[in-house]
Amino acid sequence: MHAIKVEKLEKKFGEFRALDGLDLEVRKGEVYGLLGPNGAGKTTAIKVLTGLLKKTSGNAEVLGIPIPNKDIAQRIGYMPQETALYVGLTVHQNLEFFGKLFGLDRAEILTREKELLKFIDLEKWRDELVANLSGGMKHRVSLACALIHQPEVLFLDEPTVGVDPELRVSFWNYFANLKSKGITILITTHYMDEASHCDRVGFMRSGKLIAEGEPQAILKEAGTKSLEDAFLFYARRGGQ
Amino acid sequence: MNIGRALAVSRRVFMDLKNDKRTMALITIAPLFAMAIFGLAFSGEIKDVHVIVVNEDLGMQTPMGQVYLSEAVISNLDPDTLDITAVDNLTSALAMIEDGEAWAVFHFPANFTNVTVLAQNQLTDARTSVNIYIDMSNINVADSIMQAFNGAVQQTISESGFELPVSMNKTAVYGQNADFMDFFVPGIMAFVVYILTTLLTLITFVGERTSGTLARLTSTPLRESEIVAGYAITFSIVGTLQALLLLTVGMLVFGVNVEGNVVLAFTVVALLAIVCQALGILLSAVTHREAQAIQLIPFIIMPGFLLSGVFWPLEALPSWLRPLSYLVPPSYAIDACRSVMLRGWGLDMVWMDIVALIAFAGVFLFLATISLKRRG
Ligand SMILES: Nc1ncnc2c1ncn2[C@@H]1O[C@H](COP(=O)(O)OP(=O)(O)OP(=O)(O)O)[C@@H](O)[C@H]1O
Ligand SMILES: [Mg+2]
Repeated sequence: MHAIKVEKLEKKFGEFRALDGLDLEVRKGEVYGLLGPNGAGKTTAIKVLTGLLKKTSGNAEVLGIPIPNKDIAQRIGYMPQETALYVGLTVHQNLEFFGKLFGLDRAEILTREKELLKFIDLEKWRDELVANLSGGMKHRVSLACALIHQPEVLFLDEPTVGVDPELRVSFWNYFANLKSKGITILITTHYMDEASHCDRVGFMRSGKLIAEGEPQAILKEAGTKSLEDAFLFYARRGGQ
Repeated sequence: MNIGRALAVSRRVFMDLKNDKRTMALITIAPLFAMAIFGLAFSGEIKDVHVIVVNEDLGMQTPMGQVYLSEAVISNLDPDTLDITAVDNLTSALAMIEDGEAWAVFHFPANFTNVTVLAQNQLTDARTSVNIYIDMSNINVADSIMQAFNGAVQQTISESGFELPVSMNKTAVYGQNADFMDFFVPGIMAFVVYILTTLLTLITFVGERTSGTLARLTSTPLRESEIVAGYAITFSIVGTLQALLLLTVGMLVFGVNVEGNVVLAFTVVALLAIVCQALGILLSAVTHREAQAIQLIPFIIMPGFLLSGVFWPLEALPSWLRPLSYLVPPSYAIDACRSVMLRGWGLDMVWMDIVALIAFAGVFLFLATISLKRRG
């Protein structure tokens, strides 16, 4: 069963094709890493899948429902690449707002908040305005907002940017924990060391997937030691 | 439409306003500042005020034929300031003031010429006078009516050589004790709510667009109509509180009197706030950055300033400009607030203004929702 299924997905901005026939399948309960250089179309793919952008053509399904469809909103969590938070509100007020949008009641919000603040290690900052947090801290709050309603599918656009190494380790432990509960995660990152935590990774370039597989299998196929080198290998091969 | 989610949005906007001390200052101090500054410094030239003449003057037989001093006065009334209609019967003329169709009635009694001429020649002890009934709810208009009348009388005196009875019977139909602040506060209430609500929603919403929060909301179950409803709830409450604050300070500091039902006036203000927040959201759709929003500010303030009747009565506008005032929502709110608070009119009299505001609200809310549904 696929949590995400994308076929020949195309997204044009004017004449420019940000997604140029993307094919992608993410299985239920899988952590899938989408890798690729700046401008490859990773964010665009996530925005189309979460309903922020309209696709130009092709097919895309999330949890078996063709998108765009508001019915899946309740079941997905989305953490944008930019820290889209209400900086004039406190950490608590942000979490509370997103909780309410997903229909959580007071008690549920408080329970979830406690758990999430612990996970992002910001318990002491609960009543601080988001504007007063550091960049990395804001990122952590943004992640917590995406998780508040325990979504079945998570779209995380560079969730670990600006997050310190120690916390990054705990993030990946948490993702593993979510995965063990059957939650699907589509994640983008530029940290290749993180990519090895994924069940599978896909390399994107110019709006297309140029290679895909388990990290170990990819290294083996490309005959390289690191995923960076593997990417260069595929990029060069694709360019021929 | 899920009311829980709309309320979540409303609460969030409240928090946003409340957490920011500068915004709170803007919401509370700016209205008072506007009231104090403008309230103390305004007047304007007034044109085409609708007045009624009831001429029952029977005139006087003289060697030169029948003479009517009333006609002389009427022909000397400034046709720029006054838009004059003749009516036969005083009762129906007075009803027109009651209905707000005319600002004043000049009534010349049957013996006007006769007694004036005889009194001038000491042939009678009787006295006569012109009776003026005037709607004082707009002090600027009332003043200019009186000026126009006095001018006509003075001119007639110098032309005819008759000492006219300039002592007039002045009966205020509305606003007997109204002074300028009484007249001004209902207008500034609506005006301030128009400006601040439109600007605050515009700025808050441009923030939502640039920070990416609006886009993020698209991935949640929240619907566009719920966003608009949430903003509408918050800003109608904030608008009403601003009006309440203005009125309280107006009453305590400037001794403002209120004739009519304040709750009705506040309802009008709340409606106006709903129209304006939708307008703010709509305008945010054509701006991509905060700097562009700032460029829009004059286009929000100027029409409200010039065309809403808050500082200059609509009678003071060039006639070709007047139709534009019907396109400016605060015009209706200002008219309704004044009618309610100065004339003591009820819903039966101001319903047209309210219907106009509801129509604006309907259209703008719809357009705002549509503008949010648009995506790349
Ligand atoms: N709204 C837009 N209008 C026009 N072009 C756009 C728009 N959004 C994205 N693009 C273009 O689409 C391409 C893909 O952008 P996208 O943000 O998906 O890249 P990305 O893979 O997420 O890159 P990064 O690693 O830098 O986040 C880029 O060339 C970008 O300039
Ligand atoms: Mg990106």
